[in-house]
Amino acid sequence: MSADLKARLIEQERRFQATGSYEPDLRTKAKDPIGFEVLFTKLLQVVSNAREVALSISASPATREQGEIIFGLYTPEGDSICLSTGLMIHVHTMSRAIKWMIENDYETTVGLREGDYFFNNDSFIGGGHPSDQMLITPFYVDGRLEGWVGGLTHVTETGAVEPGAMGSSFTSRYAEGLILPCLKVGENDELRRDMDILVERSVRSAIPWLADNRAKLTGLRLIREAVKALIGETGVESYGKITREYIEDTLQATREKIRRFLFPGRYREVAWRGVTLPGQETLLQAPCELFLGRDGSIQIDFDGLPSARRQPFQGTLPLFEGMLFNGLIQNVFYDLRYNDGTFLAVKLNVPKGTACNPDNIQLPTTLWGPAYGGMMAMAQCVARAYYAKGYREEVHASGPLTSGNLAGGTDQYGRPFGGQCFEFASSGMYATAFMDGLDTAFSDFNAEGDMGDAEVWEQQMPQIFLVREIRKDGGGFGKFRGGSGIHTLYMVPKGIEMDMGAFGSPPIFSTAGIMGGYPAPALRVWVGRNSNLAEVIASGAPLPSTEGDDPSNPEFVQMVKADWEFIHGQNYPARGLPPGSLFSVVSGDGGGYGDPLERDPALVMRDFRSGVTTRRAVRDVYGVVVDEANLEFDPAATQELRSSKRRERLSRGMPAAAYKAQMRERVLARDFPQPAAAMYHDVLKISDKFAREFRSFWELPEDYMV
Amino acid sequence: MPEYSDATIRDLIEGHLPLDEVQRLQHDKDFDRMERVLAIEQARVSWSDRILVCLQEHLYVVAKQDGQRVVKCSCGQEFGDYRTNWKESALVYERQPQDGEIFLGTRGADPEWQVLREFYCPGCAVQLDVEPVPVGYPFIFNFLPDLDE
Repeated sequence: MSADLKARLIEQERRFQATGSYEPDLRTKAKDPIGFEVLFTKLLQVVSNAREVALSISASPATREQGEIIFGLYTPEGDSICLSTGLMIHVHTMSRAIKWMIENDYETTVGLREGDYFFNNDSFIGGGHPSDQMLITPFYVDGRLEGWVGGLTHVTETGAVEPGAMGSSFTSRYAEGLILPCLKVGENDELRRDMDILVERSVRSAIPWLADNRAKLTGLRLIREAVKALIGETGVESYGKITREYIEDTLQATREKIRRFLFPGRYREVAWRGVTLPGQETLLQAPCELFLGRDGSIQIDFDGLPSARRQPFQGTLPLFEGMLFNGLIQNVFYDLRYNDGTFLAVKLNVPKGTACNPDNIQLPTTLWGPAYGGMMAMAQCVARAYYAKGYREEVHASGPLTSGNLAGGTDQYGRPFGGQCFEFASSGMYATAFMDGLDTAFSDFNAEGDMGDAEVWEQQMPQIFLVREIRKDGGGFGKFRGGSGIHTLYMVPKGIEMDMGAFGSPPIFSTAGIMGGYPAPALRVWVGRNSNLAEVIASGAPLPSTEGDDPSNPEFVQMVKADWEFIHGQNYPARGLPPGSLFSVVSGDGGGYGDPLERDPALVMRDFRSGVTTRRAVRDVYGVVVDEANLEFDPAATQELRSSKRRERLSRGMPAAAYKAQMRERVLARDFPQPAAAMYHDVLKISDKFAREFRSFWELPEDYMV
Repeated sequence: MPEYSDATIRDLIEGHLPLDEVQRLQHDKDFDRMERVLAIEQARVSWSDRILVCLQEHLYVVAKQDGQRVVKCSCGQEFGDYRTNWKESALVYERQPQDGEIFLGTRGADPEWQVLREFYCPGCAVQLDVEPVPVGYPFIFNFLPDLDE
């Protein structure tokens, strides 16, 4: 077999580099604009229908209830033409995998035939981490490959060292479980039994993995047959031409949308993550610089990222591209066709060897770190560009960090189990320029995210939900507050052997506010071993139902005696917990917008009465005085308290020049706490741009290093 | 192109527009929005320098009569040339992140990892930005508008 496909890919890329266009003309669209739209709508129906069918086949709550699934149709060269809704992060990550197979001569070595299915969860090839599992199949017309179809789900167990795939202790790829790099797992439209056996014997609970593969295969076949029927109507040449035009049309529309709706200029935001491995505590920055041109051009520069290392809080380039693509679609190009035209419009710089583009395949990329933060920083840049152009309805702070728990062991049926509770797909939404963020209803990575039914999660992971509530004071404070995430308290039931852990954030503010709004609070874990919960239940006393108002001394800690352990941040490597243990985690919250002293007191009181905002925050953060007689706010006293708080700002605030002079001495003395010192030490060495600006800002010697 | 009333756009700016109306604006955009917003914002401030672009809540780039283009707060406080980060002319307060006024205890970051850097307008004390950053991090220059053809 000749390497026809590889030659086509090389030619397509050469043409794009030379011309900046994916397709030289849009003559099909010009000739018959209605027919152009009709065919695209049919393709969209096909991929969307496949998604709906696949949802009902999967046995995984993450897929079935939370919609962690996406399907796409691709050109022969691997560029996406049309995508379903769902996990938008992975639109381009599947494109990467297809191109990888072409570039690695699958056509002549492994062999490609209709009915073949390739499985990939190697995130250096495509996908985000081993949980992101794609199935890809080529299709042929008259013996020639005319396209690919791909489907991806997030699978919550991969046979990693920690159960639930997303452990915070991993220091190499080899801890992440079973990784299959573009492996042929099916032929003649059948999945191979020996591949199923491999999975059954390699991961704790194989059902989500295998059921998702069947769901994806079904969706792929539905799409393939429907697309081939449409090709039968249009003719193969017309199909090829019009599908390339769909990508070019999106590319042009992307540039036009930037030109029309975003203000040109340079934007900068920084998001924060960190490494919490003992002895390696380091901050990780995701510094986004966005350039928007008057001609609709868009450049995104991440010079200043920290080095990739033997730690799990980083992501591969395919993942990072996917994150940025997702952020752009969710925030700007949501009304265009979802395909690679948008991605082709972006000029992206992610330095090699950094935590968003590791050049060492042995490194783990489990928890993404600055690769997730980078998307949030970019989204805030875009928000500012909308603001300047007057489109306030598009302006918002940062979305939530995703964080949750992992568990594994032997379940109530005596079977091995492992998984991650994906309820963090409904975290707290960012505050916007016109309203508060929604509570427990949002994730950046899946616009259709849902928390899933507790009872269904208990079937897959037999931890019992004692509390599932909206986190008090969860969202970032502001004129509009960020949405609050979920607080969950689990109990390890009687007779169950279980390891439990959590993943998320170091002890930092991971989700920024904007324009005077505060970031979302830091996350945390409480673990209670050797509890007297059985006695509490037997006595008929009330069970814990909330965290309460004081995070330092939660109600559940007061009500249940146990050997309580507190972890600041939410990285807790999984370890054995005896029955009766309690485990409390939180999902992320959204960042705040604007000065909290400008928040409408009526909104403050609404949140106070509903229990989302505590009495302390009403007074101290929002400067609102409650009239205890009627539980309304006291307008005169509120005005006085707010005036007093503003006077305090004027009195404690230092002129920036004085602040800088004072801080410069500290910088010169290299008087930094360890997590900051470790980051400066690294980034000053590897990023000339950051080093130049750092030294210039603090007026430091040219050879200053940390 | 849809046309929205001044009242609608003003309500949006002031955060009073009902959500279904906001969604209408999200789905069906008007192309002259910037000019409309600038006119509304100009009418909301007490000074007469012409607003060139709205930088963020309370801050604008304005054209002075002598041709200078400076950052100006809604209260009238000026922050200097728009090409220099306005934060260099603000009041700065580095907040211990667990001080109990804003974040209670461990709801705040570990101060070994981050502090909260708050920027206030020296004129009206409005809080213009909050940076959660490690000690010694340079001020973040969020937005440099391209004002020249």
